[in-house]
Amino acid sequence: MVKNKPAYYKGIVIGGSAGSFSLVTKILSRIKPDFKYPIIICLHRLKHIRSGLLEGLNLKSNLSVVEPYDKLRLEGGKVYLAPSNYHLFIEFDSTVSLSTEEVLNHSRPSIDHTFFSAATSFREKMVGILLTGANKDGARGIKDVHNKNGFTIVQDPKTCDVDMMTKSALQLFNPDKVLSPEEIIDFLNSL
Amino acid sequence: MGDITFKKYLEELKKHTPYNFCDYSDNSIQRRIEKILKDHDMDMNQLLLKTKTDDDFVEKLVDDITVNTTELFRNPETWEYLYTKVFPSLRKKKSINIWHAGCSTGQEVYSNLILFNELGLLDHTNVVATDINQKVIRGAKKGEYDLNFNNRYIEVFDSLMNKLGNKSSDFGKYFEMNNAKDTMKVKDFIVKKPKFRRHDLVEEEIPFYQKFDVIFCRNVLIYFNPELQLKIVRKFYDKLYDGGVLVLGTHEALHGFFKTKFIKHGMVYTKSNTFHFKYK
Repeated sequence: MVKNKPAYYKGIVIGGSAGSFSLVTKILSRIKPDFKYPIIICLHRLKHIRSGLLEGLNLKSNLSVVEPYDKLRLEGGKVYLAPSNYHLFIEFDSTVSLSTEEVLNHSRPSIDHTFFSAATSFREKMVGILLTGANKDGARGIKDVHNKNGFTIVQDPKTCDVDMMTKSALQLFNPDKVLSPEEIIDFLNSL
Repeated sequence: MGDITFKKYLEELKKHTPYNFCDYSDNSIQRRIEKILKDHDMDMNQLLLKTKTDDDFVEKLVDDITVNTTELFRNPETWEYLYTKVFPSLRKKKSINIWHAGCSTGQEVYSNLILFNELGLLDHTNVVATDINQKVIRGAKKGEYDLNFNNRYIEVFDSLMNKLGNKSSDFGKYFEMNNAKDTMKVKDFIVKKPKFRRHDLVEEEIPFYQKFDVIFCRNVLIYFNPELQLKIVRKFYDKLYDGGVLVLGTHEALHGFFKTKFIKHGMVYTKSNTFHFKYK
């Protein structure tokens, strides 16, 4: 099935585990400064390290990165990082809802939760990207993005440090694209 | 499941039970209900029928919908700020009133009281703690927690006491550890202090006549839509003394009108009695 490119995107959602931090940093340092859409990032955090991730990303990023407060409205050209110990959900009106409900796939934030809620709220007006990771979290979520006609990209397992996350996803469905990190950056800059 | 059916369900729930979840954040409440449908292997019509006819099921439903995550000394930096900057200023008061709204299983209530004891404030303090969920209230009253799961809080407690200069205080002063039963139980002199009761912030009037010096409401408002959040924060505002503080979760924020009525320091919001011309 060839998906029609929508006139605009309500959001780009990126998921990955703690190991994808350097890749996310690379993407944000190479993304064009006038990128138009909101980027929502859900990364697994190491339990005892509660801070530093945001500062690290902001140091290199071309776009400003925030850990959103509950009910914050998403804006184009900004990056929203799921805060430690909260699940991040996207509401129908493009605001963020946070939740401390039970861990999903041993994770809070859980990538599945963010993907599920974004898929429900954004439908075809989103891009979902799943990066390297050592956990199955994210696989079912990005499949749901696909089922609701969002555009899906899975990082090529050959380019992943740990490929469990991406391989789990590829077992579940065929994403629109399987890309290397360089290709993901080019893709985002072409939107 | 379409959006209409799910909204309709919440309206029916409101009509037939004491509970009103209509103004919870849409996406979040929908997901909670979908999970319940899945767990019970039901469709919407079956759920509705059960809701109308089975009171015990409704109580279980409330338990499933509401989120009861809590921790001892959650976000230690908040407690450090309260202990050093907020609580000492209460010393001059004859009696101190505290309300934990949405107290879940009581860990933060006891964290609060332990610090009050360290400061010598325990005796002239009245603590009330409420939650919509009957089951967690029962747990809170007991003050008994799973030792294995909570072991790491000993470290949090020690490091907090160290930072606060109370090196002599140890965890054993407040908790009875039972390795055989795998439990830790808050000691009686602390456990008997708070008055726990079931109360629904959304549907019921606030059941207290007194005003409060501190209201804790951590990670509760995040489940409500902005209109409902505003309504609840207004109640808190009215129930706080001037200069009283509202303590929220780390990533919660006040929006709209009340943003101007509190002075924010991290997650601690102090009620300001500044005259706001625009709103009077």
